[in-house]
Amino acid sequence: MINRICKVTAQIALVGAVLFLVGCHSDMTGVLNPKGIITYQERQLLFDAVALMLIVVIPVIIMSFAFIYRYHQSHSGRDYRPNWSHNVLLESIWWGVPCVIIVILGIMTWHMSHKLDPYRPIDGVEGEPLKVQVVALPWKWLFVYPEQDIATVNYLELPKGRQVAFELTSDNVPMSAFFVPQIGSQIYTMARMKTQLHLVATETGTFKGLNSQYNGDGFSDMHFPVKVVEPAELDEWFQKVKSESKPLSEDKYNLLRQPSIAAPAQYFSGVTPNLFKRVIKSYKLSEHPSKLAATA
Amino acid sequence: MSAGALAHDHHHDSESTDVFGFWLYILTDCILFASLFATYLVLNHPDAYGPAFKEHVNLAYVLWETFLLLGSNFTFGLSVLSLNKGKLAMTQFWLVLTFILGAGFVGMEINEFVALAHEGFHWQASGAASAFFTLVGTHGLHVSFGLLWILITIFQLPIFKVSQIMKRRIIYLGLFWNFLDIVWIFLFSIVYLMGAV
Amino acid sequence: MLEHLLFGKLTLDDIPLNTPIIMGAGIFMALVVLATVAAITVSKKWGYIWHEWVTSIDHKKIGIMYMLLAGVMLLRGFSDAILMRSQQAIAAGGNMGYLPPEHYDQIFTAHGVIMIFFVAMPFMFGLMNMVLPLQIGARDVAYPYLNNFSFWMTFVGAMLCNVSLVIGKFAATGWLAYPPLSELQYSPGVGVDYYVWGLQIAGIGTLVGGINFIATIMKMRCPGMTLMKMPIFVWSVLCAMILVALAFPILTVTLALLELDRMMGMHFFTQFAGGNMMMYINLIWAWGHPEVYILVLPAFGIFSEVVATFSRKKLFGYKTMVYAIAVITVLSFIVWLHHFFTMGAGGDVNAFFGIATMIIAVPTGVKVFNWLFTMYRGNITLTTPMLWVTAFFTTFAIGGMTGVLMAIPPVDFQTHNSLFLIAHFHNVIIGGVLFGYFAGFIYWFPKAFGFKLDEKIGKWSFGFWVTGFYFAFMPLYVLGLAGVMRRTNHYADVALQPYFLVAAFGTALIFVGIMLQLLQLYVSFRNREQLRDKTGDPWNGRTLEWSIASPAPVYNFAFTPEVSTIDPFWEEKQNQQHTAKHPETTQYNDVHMPKNTSAGVIIAIFSGIFGFAMVWNMWPAAVIGFVGAIATVIVRTFNTDVDYYIKADEVKETEMAHYKEALS
Repeated sequence: MINRICKVTAQIALVGAVLFLVGCHSDMTGVLNPKGIITYQERQLLFDAVALMLIVVIPVIIMSFAFIYRYHQSHSGRDYRPNWSHNVLLESIWWGVPCVIIVILGIMTWHMSHKLDPYRPIDGVEGEPLKVQVVALPWKWLFVYPEQDIATVNYLELPKGRQVAFELTSDNVPMSAFFVPQIGSQIYTMARMKTQLHLVATETGTFKGLNSQYNGDGFSDMHFPVKVVEPAELDEWFQKVKSESKPLSEDKYNLLRQPSIAAPAQYFSGVTPNLFKRVIKSYKLSEHPSKLAATA
Repeated sequence: MSAGALAHDHHHDSESTDVFGFWLYILTDCILFASLFATYLVLNHPDAYGPAFKEHVNLAYVLWETFLLLGSNFTFGLSVLSLNKGKLAMTQFWLVLTFILGAGFVGMEINEFVALAHEGFHWQASGAASAFFTLVGTHGLHVSFGLLWILITIFQLPIFKVSQIMKRRIIYLGLFWNFLDIVWIFLFSIVYLMGAV
Repeated sequence: MLEHLLFGKLTLDDIPLNTPIIMGAGIFMALVVLATVAAITVSKKWGYIWHEWVTSIDHKKIGIMYMLLAGVMLLRGFSDAILMRSQQAIAAGGNMGYLPPEHYDQIFTAHGVIMIFFVAMPFMFGLMNMVLPLQIGARDVAYPYLNNFSFWMTFVGAMLCNVSLVIGKFAATGWLAYPPLSELQYSPGVGVDYYVWGLQIAGIGTLVGGINFIATIMKMRCPGMTLMKMPIFVWSVLCAMILVALAFPILTVTLALLELDRMMGMHFFTQFAGGNMMMYINLIWAWGHPEVYILVLPAFGIFSEVVATFSRKKLFGYKTMVYAIAVITVLSFIVWLHHFFTMGAGGDVNAFFGIATMIIAVPTGVKVFNWLFTMYRGNITLTTPMLWVTAFFTTFAIGGMTGVLMAIPPVDFQTHNSLFLIAHFHNVIIGGVLFGYFAGFIYWFPKAFGFKLDEKIGKWSFGFWVTGFYFAFMPLYVLGLAGVMRRTNHYADVALQPYFLVAAFGTALIFVGIMLQLLQLYVSFRNREQLRDKTGDPWNGRTLEWSIASPAPVYNFAFTPEVSTIDPFWEEKQNQQHTAKHPETTQYNDVHMPKNTSAGVIIAIFSGIFGFAMVWNMWPAAVIGFVGAIATVIVRTFNTDVDYYIKADEVKETEMAHYKEALS
């Protein structure tokens, strides 16, 4: 019986290890394959914390099997101590060691929670941040670049190495969450409220952006490509959008507010004034807004 | 472990167990009200959306409500005294008076709610208004259940007479009625007094 | 007009006749119910079931009914799991799978609701009912009639949620029904109303049950059993029930406010008119986090009992265990915000709640070490209950580790709402809670039914369950780290599909495990004579419940026991006092017992009518349900004929029978 259990356990461990190694393969899309400053640090924190906790977890797992094996009826006998149930030294050790680990983890947590707070601009990144306003709409994302006065739906293009400061809200859709796993943290978007997020991408390429908060039927299709390019290339793209597409008028926006699933990418050469603020303001009413607020 | 003595067979003192359980129930009700107070305080911040409660509150009216409820507690206390003296009719009399005072309180509250709704402080008007009606209304609902209970007690008194079972039930009723009084004191000060200034 | 008055919003269109899967499931359930009804009628057992079970206030029978409910609901919740796993295994790339979002969304909501509220909770209450009064040497719980009422409220709540399968729809909001998604604006159907009323009714049952058990433990312990001499399971239940009493009123309020928004047009959690949906999320987790500990603490208690019994050794560090449980109980109320670090609350708030969460790992870790060192220098027998414990160590250690990981806010920014989270909480809820309950179920089964469960099939079932668990959930950790979110209906990246296939394979293994459990029950029932527990002490137990016959006599203890240690029965066996008393020469007394009552089930049925009527706005029926429930309570207060005596002769006869059987 014991042998069988050991065998099964070994098999499980093997399968787990293989799966995990495959998981770390460079094609993976998540935190294990970071492409942004924030994700790098989050991965490091994840690894550090796992390592710290393994100090306790591995002995527990080993002891559980070792004790069961060693003190099984068929082996036990001479050193059987039915009334041995208290030992100050041992108990101090296993109150003490986890406490120390948690203190270390706690200090790390305190430090990193502040350092990686999504509201806080990322340290050590030169230059003015690029501003992007994000509006979660019924199963699509609207991205407004207010300084360039352009907008996109379900497509985000970001510069490499430059800080991006996001402001986020949602309109006509339940709470959603903006998330580009390889570049940084996720954050909720909520109607009538504004949340913030700071990211810096460190590599060019196209990454997956998604909604991580379930918000109804179109949830699974509420994702978008995030293309990270060199800053100069981004300026070219701005120019291209400016010259080749039509502006996002108020009427057009009110059409976007209508639910749709897996909407294609769209580009707008201009944005109706103060769109982001007016979206937020439209919820300071007695009824669910049927359209955008008139003024900000 | 040895088999207990005969006397232990009834070690389960059902009287104190039952009262203990009722206290536990009161505790859970406290948490229920605490949650409602919390929602009220969250939604009713100074620059909350919607009509201001301040412009609709009528403190004098609410003070009369308060007197009715406090008075009903006093009469309830008198009914307990009568019960302990074994005077059944007097107990019933004081309970009827308690009922009338309590019913007056509920009546006044309903009247107040209707008036508020008419004036525009309707429960659909804003989150703060919803919280007000729910918090005060939940207390009112508790009082209404208390009234039903008093009514049943009045009818049960002649059946069960001045018995152990009746005494115990009146203890529960008293706990409940007192508890509602205390909740009302909090309501009066936090919702009405703080809302009026 | 009349039709509208009587049936409210309900029309024939609400019965999903054109969706084969749902109708199939519905027809299957109807057939099972009909077959059961027919079988009972043919064998003329209605009277027996009504008098011996439905109206029974015997805690042991109520416990069995709770466990039956949990078992049936486990099958329902698990079939939801199979549907989800197979959908995700198929729906890669351009394939949309076979479940459109509107069905899929209801399925994962139902899965969560059923597994937590109608599997884990009834299973826990079942074990508590079965064992706890026996462990403290009591005749019954403090309020036997309310105990019956609690069960039927839970039952009716479960039925209300299940009726939504064939009449109307269930919520498609996720198991906690976050607004604004659950508001009328975004969920106009009756699904959320079913959810709210089902949980409110079951929640009242749970709350009353919580009060009942606190009073039982505080007031009904046998002489000599001070707080620090209670079996550890009793301690864990006490703390869990304190959490019930403190947390469930918050759930009641939260769901009531949501329903007020939906029915009365109020604005607690709306996006407009001054509503605040984050308040819902705060409130629901102020209940929800303690709820996790409500489930897991009794499981910890069970592990403690099982480990000590099968290591034939005193539980290591009893006092530490008690303090650890108490610390967990207190801390469980100050960590709720870790469920939404991504709200943007800022570094200070996030760090505070993150660290508070990690601190819980310390007492929990201490408990694990105490269990390990209970085995150290023990004399271990690997029976099936003990096997579940051994699987628990590794599983729970992994689950605990990933839990602490997610308590670090920046890590949570990556893993929140992802399949990593799903893997984590299944890791602790299956690996911690369910494994514990299974261990307890097998351990105490002889005490409930008088015969042991078949060990061989039990071990096979264990093997499939545990292997299946690892196959089903380890891939989800990887997927979560790859940025795959929970509640995903389909995904574009085909590279992810192998993981989902492995997970689906794991589910298939668990399915075999569950089937083997059913087979185990059947085979053990068939061989009940061979498996008969004649002594009442099949495992060489330590606590009072093993000192009496199996199944326990209706009055539990002929004499109220007196104890002076934590393991009274064990010590007594060590000192060989056990056979000191011969029932032939013992003078027995009449035993005072509460009478069965039908009030509980009638109130619950009226509450069910009320709930169903409220869901569909059938006002006359709602009035009937409400008034009916209240009237039943009132009528009950006029009934003073609530107890009876078991004659001393009868007690003697029962005790003699057990004595003779134990000797044979």
